[in-house]
Amino acid sequence: MANTEIISNLLTRQDTWRGRSRHLPRRTIYTGHQSLDLLLQGGWPVAALTELLPQQLGIGELSLLLPVIKKHGSQLCLWLDPPYQPYAPALSAAGIALDKLLVVRSKNPREWLWAAEQSIRSGALLLAWARPQAPSYADLRKLQLAAADSSSAAFLFSPVKALGAPSPVALRLELESSEVNQMLLTVRKMRGVASGAQLQLSLGESCTQRTNLAQLPADRHHGYINNPVLRLKS
Amino acid sequence: MAKHNNLAHDIWLYLHFPLLPLETLLPQLPREQPPKPIAIIDQQKNTQRVLCCNNQASAWGIEPNLSISTALALCPELVVAPRQIELEQQRLQQLALLCYRFSPVLTVHSNCGLWLEISGCYKLFKGYNSLLQQLHNRLQEQMVTAVNGIGSNPLAAQLVCQAEFQIQLPSTRQIEQRLFSTALSKLNTNARQQQSFKQLGLQTMGDLLALPRSALSRRFDRELILYIAQLNNDKPCNAPRFQPANSFRDLIQNPQGIFNKESLLFPMKTLLQNLCHYLMARQCHCREIEWQFEPLIGEPAQMRIQLSGSQNNWSSLLTLSRLQLERLELPRSIEQIILFSDQFVEAPQGMGNLDLFGDNSCQQQSSELIDSLNARLGMEALSQPVLNQDYLPEQASTLVTPGKQINTALDNRLKAPQPVWLLSEPAPVQIRNQQLYWHQPLSILSGPERLCGNWWQSEQQRDYYLACDSRGARYWLFRETSSQCWFVHGLFS
Repeated sequence: MANTEIISNLLTRQDTWRGRSRHLPRRTIYTGHQSLDLLLQGGWPVAALTELLPQQLGIGELSLLLPVIKKHGSQLCLWLDPPYQPYAPALSAAGIALDKLLVVRSKNPREWLWAAEQSIRSGALLLAWARPQAPSYADLRKLQLAAADSSSAAFLFSPVKALGAPSPVALRLELESSEVNQMLLTVRKMRGVASGAQLQLSLGESCTQRTNLAQLPADRHHGYINNPVLRLKS
Repeated sequence: MAKHNNLAHDIWLYLHFPLLPLETLLPQLPREQPPKPIAIIDQQKNTQRVLCCNNQASAWGIEPNLSISTALALCPELVVAPRQIELEQQRLQQLALLCYRFSPVLTVHSNCGLWLEISGCYKLFKGYNSLLQQLHNRLQEQMVTAVNGIGSNPLAAQLVCQAEFQIQLPSTRQIEQRLFSTALSKLNTNARQQQSFKQLGLQTMGDLLALPRSALSRRFDRELILYIAQLNNDKPCNAPRFQPANSFRDLIQNPQGIFNKESLLFPMKTLLQNLCHYLMARQCHCREIEWQFEPLIGEPAQMRIQLSGSQNNWSSLLTLSRLQLERLELPRSIEQIILFSDQFVEAPQGMGNLDLFGDNSCQQQSSELIDSLNARLGMEALSQPVLNQDYLPEQASTLVTPGKQINTALDNRLKAPQPVWLLSEPAPVQIRNQQLYWHQPLSILSGPERLCGNWWQSEQQRDYYLACDSRGARYWLFRETSSQCWFVHGLFS
């Protein structure tokens, strides 16, 4: 009698994983890409920390999140220690309200952690870039717990070498690209899914043609490579 | 008696603070156990006389109007402090602000008293007795001794002021009886007048008011006649109404000095609570507060807290002050803390929390986040990207401090894709083996798009190209037409 009670108590808990059950009680937001939604079982997890590990900057890692930022709407979106300066015309063309965007620069790891936690706790959408001295497991766990209490999503960009260390985050995605506008996503950690699942995502038309310096101008219209921003709108 | 109807229903409350001169100075005097007898003295016609004293001093036989030498003879260990009228008036204004929450019809009497008209506040407080009870509690929290008198007009209320605080509203009959039985010696008139009262055999107010008006005007001067007319509600009393000041300034002194930041928080909390009373009375929110921490000798430390929204909540103001205090260099010992604010905005209409769609609370949450980041990390750590009317990318997109943003609707001039990241300074690109090289070999995908900016200032003409590296990352390059040098200016991400 007592045993069944304990089991039923366990089953009602949110964090009990029930085998291959497809009804995971998770809240998600749509990523804007159907195939990615499928891979992530609904979209980016809400109330959790997501870690994105791009092989290098510039392969479209931020464009992946632009639909989420756009949908976030009236709430603040905080960019903590971005690697470069955000370029306003491109963001505004993507339909992002610039007055809801806040860029924060931290001076030391303590400030970084504090700002990240404050942002998560106040319900803002957090995009954080890891500092050169990578945040410790304990720091990440603190953020993951804060995110679990809140109702917003939080994203952390880490260099790919961080894959060597364990991480308490809910979702870990490795991003790489071999071709312009083509991105290969590899799930490195995800609740309820075995790691290693891969997805080839097309962010636009691929192009193989290169132009030699001697042959400039490259007489092609710019629209030739689809603007990722425009694609997201469709 | 002919009475104005509207006046007849007025209920005036006179609050008197008999120990205010003492209670104002009490926080500054050294606290000792057991408490010492203390007396406050005041200069009256060449002699210094006792104005008021505490219970310990009364036990020694000290009472008001004793000369200082007599008092010291009675009690050699008496602590004597001179009256500080300026501080006392400041305290009285604070108390007026507190009472302003109970009634908007309020007049300050310079001699440690306040008048309140409370007939309009019956419904709000669900009865006069509950109003009186709440007022009494509030005043006790402020550590002031208060007594009151109740009458149908301000003068009557003052005249019948009791020796204690009455929490029960007396009936109309009782009020009248009390007024009539008041001794004429309490009346504030000259000795000649008192003498003529005696000669006429008048002892109480009742005796005086029973006389016909014509007889009175023949015997007494015009001042007394006016006074009686006002007391009878025949003429209104015109006293200036209390209005909260235009700016808020309050201070707490601590002669012993405060040596660490933790112990600053308690006085800061008191000051912020006072500020919030003030804001509530004026029905506004503040946008900025200023702290000043003054040592006995040396330069004071200052700290300004700017809010992105507006606030009237002391606890969040305290949290912000505390965060900013951590970054502030303070003098070693702090003697005086001053809080100042004069940046106010009208309180937003309606209650934020009652908003059906929660949009307002979300706005508030964001501004709270900005404020706390601001307080902890400093103004320079926060910025927002903003669009400008300019062609050169580094000028078209700049970073400004939050809240300073002007929303400009711009047409998207470039048809070509634009990068999300902009390098703060264009980075020069090398050319190796007929190939562009920045960290790794780059190859051009498309271009150019020509941009020229500020041709009247400098010769800036750039051809922008889209490039990529072997691993699929895309870059925004340009070639300066004058020098033919290549630069990386942005990253697509």
